[in-house]
Amino acid sequence: MKKLSALLLAMAMVLSLAACSNNNADPTQGASNPPAASQPGSEESNPPEESTAPSEAPAGPVENPDDIPDTMTSADNKYQVAFITDVGQLKDKSFNQGTFDGVKLYAAANNKSYKYYQPANGDQATDDDRYNAMKAAVDGGAEVVVCAGFMQTAALSRAAAEFPEVPFVFIDGSPIDGCDNVAAIAFAEHQSGYLAGYAVVKEGYEKLGFSGGGGGTNPACCRFGYGFVQGANAAAAELGKTVDINYSWEYGANFGASTELQTMISGWYNNGTEIVFACGGSMFQSIVAAAAANDGDVIGVDVDQSAQSETVVTSAMKGLSTSVQWAVAKVYDNSFSDIGGKGTSLGAKDDAVGLPTATWKMETYTVAEYEAQLADMASGKLVVDSMETEADFAKLADTEWSNVNLNVI
Amino acid sequence: MTFLIQQTLLYAVPLMIVALAGVFAERSGIINLALEGIMIFGAFVGVFFVNLMQGVSFFSDAYAAKNWLTLQGLELLAMLAAAALGAVFSLLLSFASVNLKADQTIGGTALNLMAPALVLFLIRIIANQNTLGMADGSDAASWFMIKKSTLGIDRKTDLGFLGETFINKVYLATYVCILLFIVLSILLYKTKFGLRLRSCGENPQAADSLGINVYKMRYAGTTISGALAGMGGFVYALTTANCASTGDVAGFGFLALAVMIFGNWKPLNIAGAALLFGLFKCIAASYTSIDINGDGICMLAKAPISAHVYRMLPYLITLIVLAFTSKKSRAPKAEGVPYDKGLR
Repeated sequence: MKKLSALLLAMAMVLSLAACSNNNADPTQGASNPPAASQPGSEESNPPEESTAPSEAPAGPVENPDDIPDTMTSADNKYQVAFITDVGQLKDKSFNQGTFDGVKLYAAANNKSYKYYQPANGDQATDDDRYNAMKAAVDGGAEVVVCAGFMQTAALSRAAAEFPEVPFVFIDGSPIDGCDNVAAIAFAEHQSGYLAGYAVVKEGYEKLGFSGGGGGTNPACCRFGYGFVQGANAAAAELGKTVDINYSWEYGANFGASTELQTMISGWYNNGTEIVFACGGSMFQSIVAAAAANDGDVIGVDVDQSAQSETVVTSAMKGLSTSVQWAVAKVYDNSFSDIGGKGTSLGAKDDAVGLPTATWKMETYTVAEYEAQLADMASGKLVVDSMETEADFAKLADTEWSNVNLNVI
Repeated sequence: MTFLIQQTLLYAVPLMIVALAGVFAERSGIINLALEGIMIFGAFVGVFFVNLMQGVSFFSDAYAAKNWLTLQGLELLAMLAAAALGAVFSLLLSFASVNLKADQTIGGTALNLMAPALVLFLIRIIANQNTLGMADGSDAASWFMIKKSTLGIDRKTDLGFLGETFINKVYLATYVCILLFIVLSILLYKTKFGLRLRSCGENPQAADSLGINVYKMRYAGTTISGALAGMGGFVYALTTANCASTGDVAGFGFLALAVMIFGNWKPLNIAGAALLFGLFKCIAASYTSIDINGDGICMLAKAPISAHVYRMLPYLITLIVLAFTSKKSRAPKAEGVPYDKGLR
């Protein structure tokens, strides 16, 4: 009896260890590989002539990207549209997810197969890990590779040079010298941040917070923050008052949720901060947790995050999903050379930034006022200062703000 | 001040309860290095339980109807689930170290290695990503936190210092853990069972000669330890990590081990050590907005000290205090030694 139980336990240990090693064996594949057991079944169910058609693609156009499964099995094991995630989770309900939504929507509408690749080692992913993910994507039959996040620059320049025939769409990136197959797409985040900062101060908030990801070196987040302060300053000047802004990059370097971040933001709310701009993927969770505990409010980022939490008043959006679809479509209608090899910056004039008016929770500041301002921005009447290079990052602290007490933490 | 006390408690309570878990195991003679692993596992079980129960209409209706009593019940159930599976997980350690007489340090390390991998593996299967949180993006605070509005008090009412600190914005789990800590400390020191358990960690041969089943006692100690650590893991995830499991508890299990040694394997000292550590952990994270005397000026932020110094504080303090106290610190005599009846 004793021996039997010893055997059972040993088996259990060995099996669970095997399970772990199974998990670690091929991290670049992530969860996008279905368990081996289910594979034969799904292959059998596919008629052979549909060799490149996605087996799980829903019929007809799909409006809601959440209705499209994140993983799908193509019959020939080739995936035409590949997506390489940035640091953080795929389902971060923000940057990664918004970009992947574009991939899914395009693939579903055009009957392409798609797959996401998460670079190994999560938040500690190195350039090699990212390169390996890109290589895996190309080896997996990718006809276009969508890479999210400027941190992929080094890996992408290596992969793009090695696979010159594969088009890469680089979201939030800048063009890479000598690589005509890389289409860099950046957004005018400063405009989006400006709209959000202006709106909440007009709404009546006086104590704001900004908690950004990337440790203060991520251009997109820096632009969001810089625009946010400019917007708040402009609105405060119009109202003739002074607003306080706590501005911090602490604990957000890898965009992840953390207990320290939650404690710090709790401290802000506890000291009177009314609304915090959560400028980063999964960090949002920590900030929302702090807001919910202290009856505070939150501004979302990248996509409309109002469905994630009741605390979200508005979100500083950028058109991730639409621009991905636009860029991927260019690959398939053979006009990729229009955007390949250079950087495209999308802003208010391209309808690529804004606040979600459908889920508007502000009462004093109206949608009409917002739309007038957006139109001014699109026409060039209202110019928001931007940050393009790293040298510009100091601009925020160096500027004398007329109506903002900026407290950089 | 209120904020400081509340946040300190949030950090200190999981540390305290997990350090007590370590005491139960070590007092019975088993080194439980697996505290970290069991915490990770317990956190996962509790979070998964909550996530599942959110889909059950009984609880989702209760949330919609703002029936707080039911939600607090759910919190307690999740703690129980985490404790139960934490105990089961710790059986692996007891079995290896009591029945197989394996090296306890290695057994514990194996569990520490296994738990995060196993949990991440399961989370990836369940959630298709590296984090398992609450369903539909809801947050722990709105489900489980006790606030003035929960108790039917208007948000603007001032409850006085004690009321604001200990009734508003708190979790029931914190108080349950403190209560458990007291009850189990009494169990360990004032009951027959506690005396027997401790004797097995000091001189098992003598205990055996008086008719105490050393194996049983060691199983009991480790199982209680596993249950407490599992629960502590969930409480940590619930109160400080927005009820999310990531296969990581930020090293709190190891911190708890340090707190246990620092507290000299004695509950009262452990409580003090955990509070001290929690306080500095809290200062490190939120020094910019700590306002001790309530005059609206945050002294620590104004002081010309680098943020890194504050971040180092918890560890610096531990080092300094350990340097002064470790001379007197005394581990249970027979811990780590597999019990062999034949040895005298």
